[in-house]
Amino acid sequence: MSLSYYKRKRINDVVISTIMLIILVFTLFPIVWMIYSSLKENTDILVGKIPLSHAKNDIKIMQLEGETLWIGTADGGINRFNKQSFKKEQNVCIETASTSFNFDGKEVWIGSANRGLSRVFKDNLKEKKDFDLKLGNYDRAKVVGTALARNRQFVWFSMQYKGFEKVIEFNTETEKIHRVFNLKNDLYSPQQIQSILYDGELLWVGTDKTLIKYNLVKDRIQNIYSIIGHLPLGVETLKKFDDRLILAGKVGAFVFSPQKERFEQKIISGQVDSVDVAAGRIALGNNTGFVEYFPDGGTFKRHEDLFRPMSSHAEIIEDGELVPAEVSAVVQNGKYVYAGSSYGRISKYSIEKDEVIATSGAAKGRLVVSFVNYLDMWRNIDFGLYLKNSFLICGAAMVFSMIFATLAAYALARFDFPGSKLFSVTILATQMVPGIMFLIPIYSMFVKFTETTGIPFKGTYYGIIFVYSAFFIPFSIWILRGFFAAIPRELEEAATIDGCSPIQVFWYIVLPLAVPGIIATGIWTFLSTWDELIFAWVLTSAETMTIPVGIRNFVGNYQNRFDLMMAAAVVATVPVMIIFFLLQKYIVKGLTAGAVKG
Amino acid sequence: MIQRIIREFRKYKIAYLFLLPTVLGMLTMHVGPIAQGIWMAFLDLNQFTINQYLSAPFIGFENFYNVLLNPDSPVRIGVFEATRNTIIYAIIVTLGTLSLGMIVALMVNRQFFGKRLIRTLFLFPWVVPTYVTGILWGFMWQRGVGIINIILVDILHLMPDKPFWLIGPNTLWAIIIPTIWRYWPFSMLLLLAGMQSIPEELYEAADIDGASPWRKFWSITFPLLTPVWAVLILFGMIYNVYSFNIVIMMFGFGAGFPGEWGDLLMTNIFRNSFMQWNFGAGAAASVVLMLCMIFMVNIWFYFYRRAEKRL
Repeated sequence: MSLSYYKRKRINDVVISTIMLIILVFTLFPIVWMIYSSLKENTDILVGKIPLSHAKNDIKIMQLEGETLWIGTADGGINRFNKQSFKKEQNVCIETASTSFNFDGKEVWIGSANRGLSRVFKDNLKEKKDFDLKLGNYDRAKVVGTALARNRQFVWFSMQYKGFEKVIEFNTETEKIHRVFNLKNDLYSPQQIQSILYDGELLWVGTDKTLIKYNLVKDRIQNIYSIIGHLPLGVETLKKFDDRLILAGKVGAFVFSPQKERFEQKIISGQVDSVDVAAGRIALGNNTGFVEYFPDGGTFKRHEDLFRPMSSHAEIIEDGELVPAEVSAVVQNGKYVYAGSSYGRISKYSIEKDEVIATSGAAKGRLVVSFVNYLDMWRNIDFGLYLKNSFLICGAAMVFSMIFATLAAYALARFDFPGSKLFSVTILATQMVPGIMFLIPIYSMFVKFTETTGIPFKGTYYGIIFVYSAFFIPFSIWILRGFFAAIPRELEEAATIDGCSPIQVFWYIVLPLAVPGIIATGIWTFLSTWDELIFAWVLTSAETMTIPVGIRNFVGNYQNRFDLMMAAAVVATVPVMIIFFLLQKYIVKGLTAGAVKG
Repeated sequence: MIQRIIREFRKYKIAYLFLLPTVLGMLTMHVGPIAQGIWMAFLDLNQFTINQYLSAPFIGFENFYNVLLNPDSPVRIGVFEATRNTIIYAIIVTLGTLSLGMIVALMVNRQFFGKRLIRTLFLFPWVVPTYVTGILWGFMWQRGVGIINIILVDILHLMPDKPFWLIGPNTLWAIIIPTIWRYWPFSMLLLLAGMQSIPEELYEAADIDGASPWRKFWSITFPLLTPVWAVLILFGMIYNVYSFNIVIMMFGFGAGFPGEWGDLLMTNIFRNSFMQWNFGAGAAASVVLMLCMIFMVNIWFYFYRRAEKRL
């Protein structure tokens, strides 16, 4: 079988193009991977998970209202379930972090670290409104959770964040902040507020050290009870039970009597993640299932293994992946108990049959793109300063070395003066010296110079700019010489005949023609100085540190934070990449013309 | 004699004027430091004598003896391995960048849609700073969480077990591949420019003679590109022997030891001498390396001149 010439050529073309594109994919993959990893969560990187993860939709709260089961998840998801069919009817996600919910009344109120207070109407789950709570400056990544309580008129909000010791009272009718209660006290501060409970004219606030009784009418702290002997890690859940309170946390659950002002009795030891109070019994969600507690007789009934390791869509999660199965939300309804756990898993439990009769899942969280890594990195190291320093130092070094290299290259290309051979050889010879060899001499010269003249040199901008400019001149000359050699001599001769002085010839005739080459070489110098590590390491101080040095220090301190490392790598790469992309025409033209002909 | 010098000087006044700042800069930043560095190689310069600097005790060739021959010297630890690695590394990287650059340049040097964009995209790795290259590939080579092992083992099942890339003999590949990745686009750029300057008539003539593409490459493209690839070999040699950033950032992200198979001469000298404050020995090692390099470059010039004459 013989193919025509053109057909063969076409097939050839397609094959070559395909191979070329494959190589292109391989070439760009590391860069893409760098950017992608910088947007991932470090925990995902550390378990080798490739896709972006979904926001954690751990169940935070479940609440029954008629035939409806309301479920709030950690990512700000509000799910409306049918109680009987156990099917999701509607859901909305408002993308919050450290979320707390309140489902009482016609609206859902959501408190979060990133949005403050938000409101969604229950009937259509559509109208969403955020209210700025003027929370001030705080490290959002360190907010562990928020706490919310409400009555008809007010919502009380606080954050679980060291040093944030206030409760904000928000008026839902006027939609304004009404009061801010300061809960600082000399004995226990700083505390983390973990839970809030509204109780008539009182507001109970559970912190990691105390239980605070705040009188809303008198607007002052009425009493503070230490919980350290009972709940050393704090009151995470606060529920009312008849005229008493149930306090639950990492080490157990207790009954607290407000009348006697003391802990009355211990219900259970061990972690309690959720509490639900119903007539005659209390359900306490713990890390395997839930415990039914009958206050009358003081008896228990344990129901365990409610959640096998399975995903929100009731698929068994693969071995090796750690999935906590604690019951973080529990609500009782006659002979059924609804329980919610991590990864949005919920189940309906029949007390009669003593087994799970239905499972379901809350809506999946949105894909998490962690721009937070960049903020974290920016906060951890003074990247703005490094960026400024790098631009300043590299830019100035580029300008100076270009000015002098242009002059020298022109002289070298045009004039066959005595010593030009020696100079050319020296230029090439300087490239053969290991950079390390210059390090100590230049460092000592800096020190000696400062000792004799008193002018500081090490750690200054001009010091490192001087070193860089001088350092990159030889190679720049080497590239630029080719450019000047390529400019026809006749042009200059004609200009000379017309009466131009040599300087005028250079300025008006040669220089404009050499501009593309000068730009290309300048960019090359900029890229090289941007890349320089050792000299910057030794010769800069904390104030004049450039990006490579900053990144080296940073990366040394955060060896396992690959996400932050990649974010730093991206930030160091992107400026030069943008410059390159904008000016690539000159670089391609310039470098090739200069280097090939030189 | 003096009059002749003055005459010449007058004639080339402008050239000397233009050169003056560069010469001054190079005297202070190149010639001066090199002279000091060579002098340092003969001094017992360490943390105790650094204050005296150039008037530190003169010890003749002892530094050279320590670096090259003394089996008990701490500055000589791992020099053999580092030299071996550097030679393999420099050769493979130089040839790798050159051949990959040549192949892709040949592919790009056709007429097709989006040529300029693809050329620009190919050049992207060259813009990634070398210290970032080190961090990035150091991350990608990680045994458990690195994408390379994930692709090789978890996705393609090419190996039964995840290999260590940053420990053991694999290390050599772990430093060679990123370096090729970082530098080959530059070779491609220069070779492509060289190819575009080859007159089209030569290929047309070869077509008429019925030459195969293979033949056309070896008889037209390759010989005519000699100046380009020769220069690339020269600079590849110099840069790769003096390669430092990628390796130092890849291992322990700037804090670790590259190991027996990842250590290059530059990192070795840096660790053994400068980080131990043994500056005299470091200078001696640098001087030896510099002499080797000058020797190599001279060999290169010898071959280059011969090739130039043939053209």
